Amino acid sequence: MGEVSTQYVTNQKQAVLVVGAGIAGMQAALEIADSEHKVYLVERLPTVGGRMMQLDKTFPTMDCASCIGTPKMSQVGSNRYIELLTYAEVTKLTGYAGNFQATIRKKARSVDIAKCTGCGACAEACPHIVPSEWNMGLSTRKAIFTPFPQAVPNVPAIDRSVCRIFTKHPEKCGAACVRACAAKAISHKQQDEEITVNVGAVIVTTGYDLLDPTPMTQFGYGKYTNVYTSLEFERMVSSTGPTQGHVQLKDGTTPKSAAILHCIGSRDRNYHEYCSRVCCMYGLKHAHLIHEKTGANVYQMYIDMRCFGKGYEEFYKRISDEGVNFVRGKVAQVTDITRTDEEKGKLVVVCEDTLLGEMIRVPVDMVILSVAIKPRADAKDVAAIFGLTQDKDGFFQENHYKLNTMGTLTDGIFLAGCNQGPKDIPDTVSQSIGAAAKAIALVSQMEKKQRRAGAEVKTG
Amino acid sequence: MKRKIGVYICHCGSNIAGYLDVKKVVGYAAGLPSVTVARDYTFMCSDPGQDLIKNDIKELGLNGVLVCSCSPTLHLRTFRAACAAAGLNPHQCEMATIREYSSWVHSHDWDAATEKAMALTAAGVRRVLYRNPLESKWSEVNPNTLVVGGGIAGIQTALEIASTGEKVYLVEKAPSIGGRMAQLHKTFPNLDTTGEMLKPRMEMVAASPHIELLTNSEITEVSGYIGNFKATIKKKARAVDAAKCTGCGECWQKCPVNVKSEYDRGLKDRKAIYLPFAGAIPAVPVIDKKHCKHYLDGSCNLCADVCPTKAIDFDQADETVNAEIGACVIATGYDTFDPSPITQLGYHRYDNVVTSPEFERMLAADGPTGGKILMKNGGVPKSIAIAHCVGSRDQNYHPYCSRICCMYSLKYSRIIKQMLGPDTNVYQMYIDMRCFGKGHEEFYKQASDEGVQFIRGKIGQITDITQGDEEKGKLIAVCEDTLLNDMIRVPVDMVILSVAMEPRADTEEISRTFLLGRSQDGFFAERHPKLDPVGTMLDGVFAVGCCQGPKDIGDTINQATGAAARALELISKGRVEMEAATAYVDAEVCSGCGYCASVCAYSAIEMDDKTHLAKVNEAVCKGCGACAATCPSKAMQLKNFSQKQLIDVIEEATREYAGLSK
Repeated sequence: MGEVSTQYVTNQKQAVLVVGAGIAGMQAALEIADSEHKVYLVERLPTVGGRMMQLDKTFPTMDCASCIGTPKMSQVGSNRYIELLTYAEVTKLTGYAGNFQATIRKKARSVDIAKCTGCGACAEACPHIVPSEWNMGLSTRKAIFTPFPQAVPNVPAIDRSVCRIFTKHPEKCGAACVRACAAKAISHKQQDEEITVNVGAVIVTTGYDLLDPTPMTQFGYGKYTNVYTSLEFERMVSSTGPTQGHVQLKDGTTPKSAAILHCIGSRDRNYHEYCSRVCCMYGLKHAHLIHEKTGANVYQMYIDMRCFGKGYEEFYKRISDEGVNFVRGKVAQVTDITRTDEEKGKLVVVCEDTLLGEMIRVPVDMVILSVAIKPRADAKDVAAIFGLTQDKDGFFQENHYKLNTMGTLTDGIFLAGCNQGPKDIPDTVSQSIGAAAKAIALVSQMEKKQRRAGAEVKTG
Repeated sequence: MKRKIGVYICHCGSNIAGYLDVKKVVGYAAGLPSVTVARDYTFMCSDPGQDLIKNDIKELGLNGVLVCSCSPTLHLRTFRAACAAAGLNPHQCEMATIREYSSWVHSHDWDAATEKAMALTAAGVRRVLYRNPLESKWSEVNPNTLVVGGGIAGIQTALEIASTGEKVYLVEKAPSIGGRMAQLHKTFPNLDTTGEMLKPRMEMVAASPHIELLTNSEITEVSGYIGNFKATIKKKARAVDAAKCTGCGECWQKCPVNVKSEYDRGLKDRKAIYLPFAGAIPAVPVIDKKHCKHYLDGSCNLCADVCPTKAIDFDQADETVNAEIGACVIATGYDTFDPSPITQLGYHRYDNVVTSPEFERMLAADGPTGGKILMKNGGVPKSIAIAHCVGSRDQNYHPYCSRICCMYSLKYSRIIKQMLGPDTNVYQMYIDMRCFGKGHEEFYKQASDEGVQFIRGKIGQITDITQGDEEKGKLIAVCEDTLLNDMIRVPVDMVILSVAMEPRADTEEISRTFLLGRSQDGFFAERHPKLDPVGTMLDGVFAVGCCQGPKDIGDTINQATGAAARALELISKGRVEMEAATAYVDAEVCSGCGYCASVCAYSAIEMDDKTHLAKVNEAVCKGCGACAATCPSKAMQLKNFSQKQLIDVIEEATREYAGLSK
């Protein structure tokens, strides 16, 4: 485990609060730290990294997300200007631009960060198994767990909602983790802690959730074994995921054909009218990975191919040249009721091929649903804490849809990333650096004003 | 001193481990001379990966580190910082690029890729072997910023920086700021007028005491490095004294010369002395010397005669402004594709085939038709076809997508229906409808609900050769309707070509002045699409807006604000770390020829007065190595890049091929 430096910089400059440590939050924090202002980086999960670390490769260059994410994770963990508060949440915010007070609840990990060496013996010893959220339920974790091996901080947390000691489970575990820990770092008695910090500006970068396609019964998610959501498939295809990157069916065999269904829950009056912006591109990415790893026949059922960014059109052409089959028509149904010998034992994707002008049935081994990006489940609560408004789709409302997508209607509170609306990583990073600019500009102005007035700068 | 080198082979997920035998490379590395330990890990750049290095430095006393993974442009800083944190001089750390140089380019030959990775590793070890520790140097940062281009991107960056009280030089080639956005009428998806968004910002720029606005100006030369650039700006003479001019307009009203207006895309005339557009800032006219009779043959003084404040100054000289800045932000914008070569579309052949920028001017109240949608003969069109992807997504012209045309085509459709009535037929011939942003899909639906007709198929030809009475007098858009699976002929009164965005004509020149790289599509290259979308390969120089790639106003503003962040960070820090691997002279060998001084781009070498030998100014030297390459006697060397070191590395890398024993 890396040394945890508690020697944070204190200077005559204002601090900034960044809420959410995915790529948007980490980028903003690093930019602000680079301007020599202190940052409180608060993250709800036990580790930083966010959704990006659940991805394997990223379009259009096929860079691995971890290669870009882990150094940033490492930097936010060791930068002297960034006070990293993981497994923590902001519970209250008062004040105004230049003078906010944020109350942060540091949830009890039940592990002492200073003592833990990250050896992993506790998780090995723990007898209680639950589905892993990080791996989208495709694998399991223990009650005491680290979400993934490159977590920062590399210190496990006890999930008190399932830990046998807290739930008074009839099958005792005898505090196996405590006994296994050579560093004596575990304590079930650890309490939540609350702190209040003073900051000049706040950047909210809380990310997104994905639509659960279970209600869309026609697609068979949850009913048929080999229907996956895009993020589940992403975990499967990741070298750090539940199958070490092997593309396989639930029974362990390699699929010979796969269908990728676009716009599941997006561009859909019954669910979300908006376009989720990234799915056309990650659909192409998935097609490429499946084909490269298994040689399978891949079909993409789409409405429009939205490949608008730098290098995106070229990527589309590359995937097309690789032999991926494009079917223009949204899928109406996925069924296991087969009609012919060819379809036997397979899932049948039923859709209209609008270019042929015909209904077609495509038998495949595996189906991937490109589900809509939506606001997080607790967006309403987060909005209430930070004085944010939500747009008609529940994403946080920006100050101006063109001139200022990083500001909000409250001075001093800024947004970046997918909590403001779906977007890919390059646009997230751009917006995040922009939000950092606004925060830096604000606190710099405040410092100048206060210096002129002869007042002492309220430091964090 | 005994060398103890640690070698770390990265799997890079599956980017390396999926294409070559990492374990074999580790085994090979462990057996190399001076290598104390060799390890491998999935992601060397992650915390656990870096910890491997740090622990080995502390416990095994390593004094050299080689990481075999990706390109140094990605993570050399990361690994050097890790070494420094563990107490090892960061310059004892080097990288061998086995990803970009082996696994990524030899992905179909496991054995060959492995062999090559081994050779690169062996060479890398030699590279580290003779490295010396170097000390960091720091340089003060000039807090001024140069912003090149006064469109919405440049304006945004300038305002953001100026809001903190720091100075910005905003240089604009045209006589007024405002850029392409000033030529637009309304923007998607809310159909707000651009004026209400742009005008206040232009006024803020003019009013800001921290922004030195230099219009009608160009950068002629840039030198220096991050924190300390010097730019020479040529302020071309307007021939009008800004201090005296009241903007009354007498001069351009009386001027007898008509010239096609660039602002109005050639659809309207301006005069030889002119204000580019009504809200121009500065509101001072400029004389176009290429067309002004006074300059051509001395035959006219009308403007000077009528000017009530005697502000015309034909002899006004160009001015030179020397700016010293810490950072440069390039925001030079874009040009649009000229569809003339696509003769089958009839541009410039048929009267009523216009490009999207031309149509945009037609919609504007101050445009060639006073804001009315009119055909060349003054009639009102009853049917209009909008052709998508003219020059974009096209192997013959630009393979890329221009990102905004689907949305602005929809914008035109809705505006046409609003202005000409719902019975006007509007057709959109498209390949894909790329409506991906916030509110964009809903905008698409509204256009569809308003009766805009969508035909999925790119237009093959526009012709005036008609068949049958219905087509008489019209332009025919011939295209394949891929959903009907049929060729169709659509008779219309007018055709709008949604043309590609392209890099500006002066992109080559700008890239040379600022040493910017360009992507395959010709736009300026960002340092890394994800790690750094606003930086370029040159520290301290940023590229934002459409000069970096097509994007809409919202995304442009985000990126431009990002560049402001970078400038503010530099200014806030006040100092920047300099290259430690500078040049040095072996005085015993130097013959005083002076070739090194003559090739130094940073003026870092002087010939000493007394000894007449070369002397390096370490504070200024950027470590580029031009002097070392030039020196005929190899007296001039670069720290950690000595002749011996380099030749050693090459020998090791080519050992197999050179027939030397393993």
